[in-house]
Amino acid sequence: MPGIAIASLTKRFGDVGAVNQLDLEVRPGELVALLGPSGCGKTTTLRLVAGFLTPEGGEIRVGDRVLSSPTVVVPPERRRMAMIFQSYALWPHMTVAQNVGYGLRFAGVGRADRDRRVDEMLRAVQLAGYGARYPGELSGGQQQRVAVARALVVEPEILLLDEPLSNLDASLREEMRFEIRRLHERFSITTLYVTHDQAEAMVISDRVAVLRDGRVAQIGPPAELFERPRTRFVAEFVGKTNLIDAIADGPGWVRRGGLRLRVPGEALAPSAASSTPPATPVVVSIRPHQIALGPRGAIADASGSVLAGTVVRASYLGDAVDYQVALDGSDVVLRIAGPAPARVGPGQAVSVVVPAAACVLLPAGD
Amino acid sequence: MAEAATAARPRRWEGLDRATPVWLLAAAALVGLILMPLGWLAYMSVRSDGGLTAAHYVRVLGDPPLQKALWNTVVLALWSGLMALVIGAPLAWLTARTDLPFRRSIQSLVMASFVTPPFLGAFAWVMLAGPNAGYLNRLYRELTGAVDPLLNIFSMPGLIFVVAIYTFPYVYIMIANTLGLIASDLEDAAGILGAGRFQVARTITLPMVLPAILSGFILAVLQALALFGSPAILALPAGFHTVTTQLWSFFQYPPRVELAAAFSMPLLLATALLLLVQKRLLGRRGYAAVGGKGGQRRVVALGRWRHPALGVCLAVLAAAVFLPYGILLKAAFSRAWAQPLTWDNFTLDNWSFTFLSVTTRSAIVNTLELGVLTACVGAALATLLAYVTNRRLVAGHQVLGFLAVAPVVIPGVVLAVALFVAYTRPPFLLYGTLWILFLAYLTKEMPVGYSQSDATLRGIHPELEEAGRILGAGRFRVLREITAPLARSGIIATWCFVFIGVIRELSASIILFSPNTKVMSVVIFDLKEEGQFGAIAVLGVFMLVMTFVIVAVMQRLLGRDVMGGRQAGGAG
Repeated sequence: MPGIAIASLTKRFGDVGAVNQLDLEVRPGELVALLGPSGCGKTTTLRLVAGFLTPEGGEIRVGDRVLSSPTVVVPPERRRMAMIFQSYALWPHMTVAQNVGYGLRFAGVGRADRDRRVDEMLRAVQLAGYGARYPGELSGGQQQRVAVARALVVEPEILLLDEPLSNLDASLREEMRFEIRRLHERFSITTLYVTHDQAEAMVISDRVAVLRDGRVAQIGPPAELFERPRTRFVAEFVGKTNLIDAIADGPGWVRRGGLRLRVPGEALAPSAASSTPPATPVVVSIRPHQIALGPRGAIADASGSVLAGTVVRASYLGDAVDYQVALDGSDVVLRIAGPAPARVGPGQAVSVVVPAAACVLLPAGD
Repeated sequence: MAEAATAARPRRWEGLDRATPVWLLAAAALVGLILMPLGWLAYMSVRSDGGLTAAHYVRVLGDPPLQKALWNTVVLALWSGLMALVIGAPLAWLTARTDLPFRRSIQSLVMASFVTPPFLGAFAWVMLAGPNAGYLNRLYRELTGAVDPLLNIFSMPGLIFVVAIYTFPYVYIMIANTLGLIASDLEDAAGILGAGRFQVARTITLPMVLPAILSGFILAVLQALALFGSPAILALPAGFHTVTTQLWSFFQYPPRVELAAAFSMPLLLATALLLLVQKRLLGRRGYAAVGGKGGQRRVVALGRWRHPALGVCLAVLAAAVFLPYGILLKAAFSRAWAQPLTWDNFTLDNWSFTFLSVTTRSAIVNTLELGVLTACVGAALATLLAYVTNRRLVAGHQVLGFLAVAPVVIPGVVLAVALFVAYTRPPFLLYGTLWILFLAYLTKEMPVGYSQSDATLRGIHPELEEAGRILGAGRFRVLREITAPLARSGIIATWCFVFIGVIRELSASIILFSPNTKVMSVVIFDLKEEGQFGAIAVLGVFMLVMTFVIVAVMQRLLGRDVMGGRQAGGAG
């Protein structure tokens, strides 16, 4: 099972640089999600890996074969890959069995063998007995599973998925996320998965690569991305967060106007210097669910900052409450996630506890 | 563990897309088909024994009779365009947005007008409104006892009328399709605020449809500019020329090719300019874009205007379809077409005369041969080109797309002149053979064929092909097993469009034919010289029947109106 090595990949459409010197490595058997907003270059990257586009710079290697470079591109049919499209791309004039078995015709597989493998795969995606139907007769979820079966049955070296769940309704999407993860754990194919849905990326992937403007902003396991984002963009894109522009105020402290926050004592970001010189602008990222909230004076914390504030709103979400709290003596409004039922209401004076460990320092001006 | 010394690089041939030469060949064919004759035309217009000269232009543009012909053409084009607008726009609104009775039948009848060759309509109207024997005039005289005729079709107003009733479908199609895109809620909003239905039509619907209206007008003008048959039948006996009839006369023996080439240029430039303006009006999508999300469309209730509106529609259709078809059928079965159809007058002799005549039979065979050949080659070429441009397979595919529809700029007569110039010299000595007609038809029908193929391929999502390729199928296999089956009915529709266009073609055929290579339209024209109206009617009916059979086939295949009405059953 080979891995994918993408080095300095560049692709322009007219004046627009869709992919800009992108570097990425997918280890053998790994599932990496390409996550990012529209226009970040994730689909372009996927299509470059598939061989539908020719790069202007850089190269794409699978195992030890160079598949794409500005001078030569191995055509898609010879790359030993499979792809699941956003529109599923099931051929309406062929039956489900013919759709699924299509790729096996070019793999030198005999008729009997082919039928057997198609049946097995349909069973694996829970569509046993649907072989004689036409795609037009199936529901969206069933069509999606046919697309999955069609891609997996050829035992590709690389599996590519282009937002395969975005045409499904919300509950089906959730169910299919787990299904795809289960299939990945069963077959362990090196996979590249494009999505704009952050929750989906977190559930499905071994590692997530956040893309911005044609480059990888940060790559890592979902937990690392969530707990230790390296830039403002990544912190905002992966999960909800509070971002406070402040300046360093001695080791272990940052300040914004009248507000002083305790932060982890040492480094600003893993790559930067070991301690931030005073008066450097920084951005502090604090996740809403890591902030504690209670009536004024009712809670305390030695290793964090205890701040006074007033509740602006408390939105009941059923399983949680979404608070907005304006801090006294500051222009900062914090978003806090707390358990239901709400213990405080709008207009109430509260104490807010921000543990130092929950504060992630990011470079300013991202 | 040591890494491989060098990663395995793909060899040159492994990366080369084997399909590329085919696309390049198709592109080259297109370039040769269109640019070569036009190049020759431009060259001939400035050629002389002593080198390049502007003398031909000076002669044609300074000659008073020729200037008159230019002026007549402008008058004809603008007035018939206006009349086509006056007929087509209200008709489109009535059938597309109101509760007019028999809407679908009226739409089908408008389509009948669309596929009727204008020269056939002109013949029919000669039989209806000729000053001496015209049916309507005789009726008028009998009823009122007058001596002078009511109508004289051999006049500029007569010509404008006949041209308008056969070009208004272009305006109709453009506006009806646009109206089909406008959501009712935009008009409901006005209605709620108190606007009456005609006020709504005037102040809300009309401005949104304006680009389509202007564009339809331009299309009608373009058609009128290029017509040969109607002016030849109606204007020449009345003693005036248009550019097209004048060009034809340049080719009566001895052919004055350089003058014809120079005189073609103003027409070519005019059509090019008009098309440019039309393209600007419509933007890149080729239809008038309107705002809103295109939701539900409800019909406007006409109330007490229902029957008057229906009357107006029927009057238009009477002029374009009922009366002309009626008189053609009558003449086909009458001994003397001007006499009433009594049992004495009824005969099948016209039919035997026509189909027993060697000239006619060979012309029919030629027409059918050319029709089938052009349709097959045209459909194949158009599909290939549409595929190349839709999938962006070669650099400069936009140019290819442009070239494929460029012939619409070239009026049929001008194209014939260009082909005459290009192919009456070695090494391509095609004049006098069916091949030159084939080339003319192929070039002339390419825009229609390409447009239909383009629409067909747009409906096939590229991902359907990509899915095949990533699973191991090469480009040609994907084309054969995935694209072609899905495009099949669209390709057949392209075939039908080209076939219909060929069998009714006159303006290029009339210049490029030779005694052995006559086609049906040319024979009809010959018969006019001989006054054989019975035989003309027979051939005309035959041509119309052939056309309608093909149209019926097409409608069944496409599942919608040939003119582009919405597909039944929702989006695909």
